[in-house]
Amino acid sequence: MESGITANQLERKESGQRTLTRNQRRTLTFYLFVSPWVIGFVLLGIFPLLVGLLTSFTNYDGLNLDTVKFVGLGNYARVFEDPDVSFSLVRTILWGLANLPLWLVLSFLLALILNQDVKGSGFFRTIFYLPSLIPITAAVTAWRIILEKNFGMLNASISRFTPEPVAIGWLSDYSLPGMTSIAIWGGLGYGMVIFLAGLQGIPDELKEAAQIDGANSWQVFRHITLPLMTPVIFFQLVLGLIGSFQQLNLPLLVTKVGIAASSVPPRPIYLYMIHTYQQIFTSGRYGYGTALLWMLFIGILILTWIVFWSEKYWVYSGASEGAN
Amino acid sequence: MAEKLLKKISRRDVLKLSGTFLGGALLASCAPATEAPAPVAEPTEKPVEPTAAPVTEAPVAEPISGHVVVMHNLAEFTEDHVAAFQEANPGITVEVVDGMDPTRFFAMYAAGSPPDIYRLQAPSIPGLLARKLLLDLTPYFEASQLIDIADLAPANDYYKAESPLEIGTGKIYGMCKDFSPDCTIFANKAHFEKAGLPIPDDTKAMTFTEIVDAAKQLTTFDGERMLQYGYGYETAWIDRFWMNMLAETGASLYAAGYEKINLTESEDAKAIVQWFYDLAAEKVSPSPKNPSPAGWFGTDFVGATASMAQYGFWFSAMAIGDANKDAVMMLPGPTWAGERRDPTVTATGAIMTSATQVPDAAWKVFEYYHAGQPSIERAGSGWGVPALKSQWSMIPQGTDFQKQAYKVLQGELELNTSPLQFNPFIGETVVSNAWNLYLDQALSGTITFDDMLAGIEKDTNTAIKEGIDRIIP
Repeated sequence: MESGITANQLERKESGQRTLTRNQRRTLTFYLFVSPWVIGFVLLGIFPLLVGLLTSFTNYDGLNLDTVKFVGLGNYARVFEDPDVSFSLVRTILWGLANLPLWLVLSFLLALILNQDVKGSGFFRTIFYLPSLIPITAAVTAWRIILEKNFGMLNASISRFTPEPVAIGWLSDYSLPGMTSIAIWGGLGYGMVIFLAGLQGIPDELKEAAQIDGANSWQVFRHITLPLMTPVIFFQLVLGLIGSFQQLNLPLLVTKVGIAASSVPPRPIYLYMIHTYQQIFTSGRYGYGTALLWMLFIGILILTWIVFWSEKYWVYSGASEGAN
Repeated sequence: MAEKLLKKISRRDVLKLSGTFLGGALLASCAPATEAPAPVAEPTEKPVEPTAAPVTEAPVAEPISGHVVVMHNLAEFTEDHVAAFQEANPGITVEVVDGMDPTRFFAMYAAGSPPDIYRLQAPSIPGLLARKLLLDLTPYFEASQLIDIADLAPANDYYKAESPLEIGTGKIYGMCKDFSPDCTIFANKAHFEKAGLPIPDDTKAMTFTEIVDAAKQLTTFDGERMLQYGYGYETAWIDRFWMNMLAETGASLYAAGYEKINLTESEDAKAIVQWFYDLAAEKVSPSPKNPSPAGWFGTDFVGATASMAQYGFWFSAMAIGDANKDAVMMLPGPTWAGERRDPTVTATGAIMTSATQVPDAAWKVFEYYHAGQPSIERAGSGWGVPALKSQWSMIPQGTDFQKQAYKVLQGELELNTSPLQFNPFIGETVVSNAWNLYLDQALSGTITFDDMLAGIEKDTNTAIKEGIDRIIP
């Protein structure tokens, strides 16, 4: 045995030093690899969340560190008394109802079309994905030129077919459909890519077997493609739902006016996050604003749980089917 | 040893350690700061009379050294300026944090390291003073070789205070980088001619009634499409305009002690708000229902889709574009009650924070920026009136438009009235935010004009109450 020991190891053994065992080295390696993420998560994720929770129990306004007061659940009680909270929540739900189903259906349809084995499909996939790569600020600036009320391209086009020029407020009176258009345009490519990945994971032999059994295209889609795509739809639904409730950038960018940051988005797109933003950054209510954020977090958690609960009724699971 | 340690540390232990670390960090964050950035205010029976900032020690003798953090606009305080200053002052290094972002300022303050010098607008002064965040610079000004107190333009009075509720005289807490009579009007003469209106007399202030009459005739439509706005202004400053207009009548936007805003019970205030509401309702000016096509009314004016723009003298540096070339003139600020007053409502400048650890070094930077080469460059650029009267002769007068604007400016500068007293208990955007929020609803017909007034009043008064509660422990 001694002959198997290297000179270096012998030297260490003689000097009383002990080498790490293979298991210990693996453990050390594990911790070294995970520690950057864990440290980052704790410092940049958990810690700010808890500081935010503490802030929600105070009247902190950004500058009153010396006189900050503990207000207990006062900020949370205020959430239920603030009429703009219920208003903005309804607007957020309407926004979600307008945007999410449309985005899901359109991006799925687009993926189905571009999943066909036709010449040039790669080119079109790239074209449709391009909007997702454009920074939102640039995209909204371009869309403002299109949707602007008095000088916008859309109203100018519509005016060609009307007796008198029209001035439809796509970014004011009809800002909900206006903003939905921008969101769908920008998000379609991303949704398409995810659906496309799901579609390409469906084995061809399943479809071929169905076709041999006499199934037509619709039946193949209805009984093979759609069920096998439900896990992807589920994934998109969960992310889309969370994203709808967290929407802030679009209403802000769509309505940014003036040289000072005091513009308020029009009422149709006065979303929950906009109200929260206004409370924190315009009114300096950091305590109340963080309480609003925690309430939103709880709301999203409940909604997500409901979606997960509903999973067993409509999401195809190969494992459970097999078990059955 | 390492082996022994590793043997003992399980994954569970790591979680425990993380928890301990997190708990410790939380406790540390909740603990009082060892070096309080500003002295804690003493409790007082009179919540509406916050006291002024602590007295500053006299400046120490040279040599001066230190690292000075300046939160400023990098386009104004450039890297070249910084390099030139550092070369002339070898012991001092300067770090410019770009922007004038209150949120970032708050974050730096919360972290215990606010910038030594902070760029701001005058309406912020009472609030920051009430919170004891400003350093009294009077001894520095008195000892300065570069700045003569007698040379300070009247707009600098916004940076003087006896207390947060007595702005205008007393200790000096900062100064303007430059300023403008902010209610002056830029008019497109070609639009007036096309509308068959006489070109306005630039030696006489128009009344607000005359303005709205002209603005209605200048606003043009094609079917439903609006082609040209008659009049526009910066909505973020709407409460400042209201205050200035009310001051002409001797009234105030706020009740004594600044505990409430007066809108529903003041006929003067109602009439002024009604004037602005009518502009929006009649589509004469941008509004939430009829927003500016360019996103900023100044651009609309330069693009000749607006006939009159109420902006300060600073706008003269950019008012002319290809679309309105040779057609722009500057007019005196309008009058509400026939008693014109100083139309300066912004007076952008800088202060030094009371938490600065390097006041002498920071003052050197402050002094250099406000009276050194950067101020000379600004004076000659036309972006505002220099904060030092001795530099007024540097205002550009090369073109006909610049000469005309300079002539009007002289009349505005003669209106040397006391500065407006801004409410120390609320942020700069509270009123304008409430205005935007309720104006949209009123224009939609979901609430009445009186409801709008009540809404603005309620939101503002709530913010004032909270402000008093925060400032006075």
